[in-house]
Amino acid sequence: MTRRPSLPTLALLLLAGGCTPPGKPTPAGPSRPDEVTDFRTLYATNCAGCHGADGNLGPGPPPNDGLFLRIVADAELLKVITDGRPGTPMPAFDHGKGGPLTTRQVKIIAEGLKPTWGKPDPSGDPPGYALAPGGDAGRGMAVFARACAGCHGDRGQGGGSVDGRPVGAVNGPAFLALSSDQVLRRYIITGRPDLGMPDYAGTAGRPADFEPLDARDVADLTALLASWRTAPAGK
Amino acid sequence: MRRIVRAVGGWFDSRLKVRESVMPMLEHPIPAGAAGPKGWWYVFGSASITLLLVQIATGIGLALVYVPSTDQAYASLEYLNYRQPLGWFLRSVHYWSGSGMVVMVAVHMTQVFLHGAYKYPRELTWLFGVFLLLLTLGMAFTGQVLRWDADAYWGVGVGAAMAGRVPVIGPAIVELLIGGQTIGAATLSRFFALHVFVLPGLLLALVGGHLWLVLSKGISEPPEPGQPVDPKTYDAKYHELLKTGKPFLGDAMSKDALFSSLVVIAVVVIAALAGPKGPHGLPDPVLTGANPRPDWPFLWLFGLLSLCPPGLETFVMLVFPGLLVVGLLLVPFISNHGERAPSRRPVAVMAVTVAATTLAVLSYAGATAPWSPVMEAWSKDPVPVEMVRRSGPLELQGAAVFQNKDCRNCHALDGVGGRRGPDLTDVGTRLTHNQLIDQVSNGTPGGGNMPAYGKKVNPAEMEALAAFLGSLRPPGQPPARVAAP
Amino acid sequence: MAESSPPEPQPGPARRSVLRWLAGGAGAAAAGAVGVPLAAYLGGAVGGHPVNWVPIGRVADLPVGETRLHVFTDPVREPWDGACAKAGAYVRYLGPGDDGQPRFWVFAMNCTHLGCPVSWFPQSGLFMCPCHGGVYYENGEHASGPPPRGLYHMPWRVVDGVLEVQAPHLPTLQDTLEKPSGLVQLGRSRIGRPTGA
Repeated sequence: MTRRPSLPTLALLLLAGGCTPPGKPTPAGPSRPDEVTDFRTLYATNCAGCHGADGNLGPGPPPNDGLFLRIVADAELLKVITDGRPGTPMPAFDHGKGGPLTTRQVKIIAEGLKPTWGKPDPSGDPPGYALAPGGDAGRGMAVFARACAGCHGDRGQGGGSVDGRPVGAVNGPAFLALSSDQVLRRYIITGRPDLGMPDYAGTAGRPADFEPLDARDVADLTALLASWRTAPAGK
Repeated sequence: MRRIVRAVGGWFDSRLKVRESVMPMLEHPIPAGAAGPKGWWYVFGSASITLLLVQIATGIGLALVYVPSTDQAYASLEYLNYRQPLGWFLRSVHYWSGSGMVVMVAVHMTQVFLHGAYKYPRELTWLFGVFLLLLTLGMAFTGQVLRWDADAYWGVGVGAAMAGRVPVIGPAIVELLIGGQTIGAATLSRFFALHVFVLPGLLLALVGGHLWLVLSKGISEPPEPGQPVDPKTYDAKYHELLKTGKPFLGDAMSKDALFSSLVVIAVVVIAALAGPKGPHGLPDPVLTGANPRPDWPFLWLFGLLSLCPPGLETFVMLVFPGLLVVGLLLVPFISNHGERAPSRRPVAVMAVTVAATTLAVLSYAGATAPWSPVMEAWSKDPVPVEMVRRSGPLELQGAAVFQNKDCRNCHALDGVGGRRGPDLTDVGTRLTHNQLIDQVSNGTPGGGNMPAYGKKVNPAEMEALAAFLGSLRPPGQPPARVAAP
Repeated sequence: MAESSPPEPQPGPARRSVLRWLAGGAGAAAAGAVGVPLAAYLGGAVGGHPVNWVPIGRVADLPVGETRLHVFTDPVREPWDGACAKAGAYVRYLGPGDDGQPRFWVFAMNCTHLGCPVSWFPQSGLFMCPCHGGVYYENGEHASGPPPRGLYHMPWRVVDGVLEVQAPHLPTLQDTLEKPSGLVQLGRSRIGRPTGA
């Protein structure tokens, strides 16, 4: 005697027999926030706010920048994420410094940046990342006129435009107070490609005979900007 | 064959007397109206009981695996979810059937209220029903605690904090509730005993009483406008009505059975599609960033506790629920006679509408919780790219300060971020530079919604922040300015 | 039910009443014999807790002017407590005061509104609660939202250069940590007073 199985019987058979209903939970990832070890997840929850969802187009310096990742040392990345940069909006992220991440997680982020966004393109000869002492602010003024004034104005007061958007001032005390010498040097070298600012060798908005900035130019420019921090330009 | 069955059955029945005792109950006459199409109004009570049976069956199943101790409970829930064959399904059915039971009890009660079925002589049936509602909600709360995750842990904490506000004896109630001075092993054991022994026992006893009252006072006839209940004459009228009555064991019971079965099938389908709830987040008291939320039957209370003025709060927590219960208990004594038809009882219809709307609005507020800071927004929610593109160096630093100082936890940009404070996407059109600095420094005057940041934001940060916020305007829109006096 | 049964020999009224009294009395005694211990068993959770001091760390190792969450194990615990035996305290070392004695802010993690766990945000110097949005300043004072008061201060003391805090019970509005209610016997120790900024 054969009977067609009723609907509930069928459902039961399906449930028992390997068919996976959408409600069946799959083992989730780590349930503790301090056990998350995936670079993408850690970046998205801890860095994206300031550095952008894809590592650029955020208010903070973009880590998704091949040139930056080429010149910056691994130890520097680890140190900055661990300790933050006091005086700037970059906070410390390590538990030991009162931050939200474990030392292991900080390491995962620091070590994940280059494999994620680094570019295997060693063209050009960029100046080094590390701050160089002994920059000459006076000479920096001449470099500024050559490399920066086209957009940022002759005294850094801004006024030019890029892609139809006005370029802001870089000589304001508030901007400079919140910017470390290191980040100023970094921007001079890498520019902000995501926002149209050229790097040390870029020609956008610069004179036709523009030569790439060398290490001394960069040091002098950094010194000039640092000098504006306490004695605003043109005053 | 059939003769043997009959003989065996007869042997038992001559001792059990089922035919004499139970059959008359099943065949008791009900008003003809209730056996007709209007009988579909009468199916919700039996559906509630059916779901209770599902709860008992699945609950026993879960108790075979679940470990009610704080160091193992979470792991045993994960075991049920991932390892125990069909463990997830049993958890899921238990959750959705429990939810369904709350819904069915509420619908049943609403129907009884709207049809005036609580009036003479069925006042006591209603009172039993009120306590059954409370017990069902008690099961929902204790069940949520047995799902020993962050929601459960902090849910107990919230319950204890509310109990702790009871004048004088509050602290003693707290310790009695959590079984000591901290939430721990004793707490979970207590809630396990409540959920598995105490409340189900009371529930079954009251269901028995409720059903006995239904039998002894009879099922109410469908209400007709213009036929008010008069306690003096009702019994005789009802007796008269039953002369044309139909046995319950017939169409009425078939309707009940059909509806209950459909409800159970719906519960099973939802359970298979939606899956079990949680466990979400470890029940670890020192894990910050927990974001505890009550299960849906209590979201309205969660919402109410955030929205009510602080001065009224203790009243809302301690007295108001008591008043609600007393109000429900008094219903059949305030109006135990008169019209039963909803069309003649505008106040009753209004009361149901207002109560349902209030619950829905508060639950929605509780579910979305716009008052809660988004704890990770400062580091997680990117500054909208368009804002970054049109910012200068100072504004970019201001945007970084905005994120760094956790402003984003309460203020959205382009709709993303916290919603406790206003969305600041266009704030530059509303506040001038100086007004922005004043607002950030001093917060809301008089200790309002926004903390004062004066001490935590230095002058450079303030300058950059105000520049960024002032730049938040739609293209072409001028900055805000102070109106000429 | 109502069928008449053959009349039984009735005992005398006196004997019947004695039997009733006996049954009632024995019943009450039996119920009490079970009920009183049961009630005492259940009520055993209430009151009479000892005071336990838990070491947090050497004062010299604590960063000055920074708030940190310190996690410790509650000494009063069941062996099967699991993670629930953990407790936390937000500690800020304020440095030595005018008298040379170290000063601290020590707060319980529980929001004073409904007990949810507050999170510390060092950049803005705020504690925020996830439940109903209560916010506190770094000194524990109420900043915004529904909480009726500031964070619960936890009693602390310094013994041999080590900061110790009192293992907390679940703090509620009438049973705070700083003024333990009659339910808790207070140890004879120097209790750290909440210190102003």
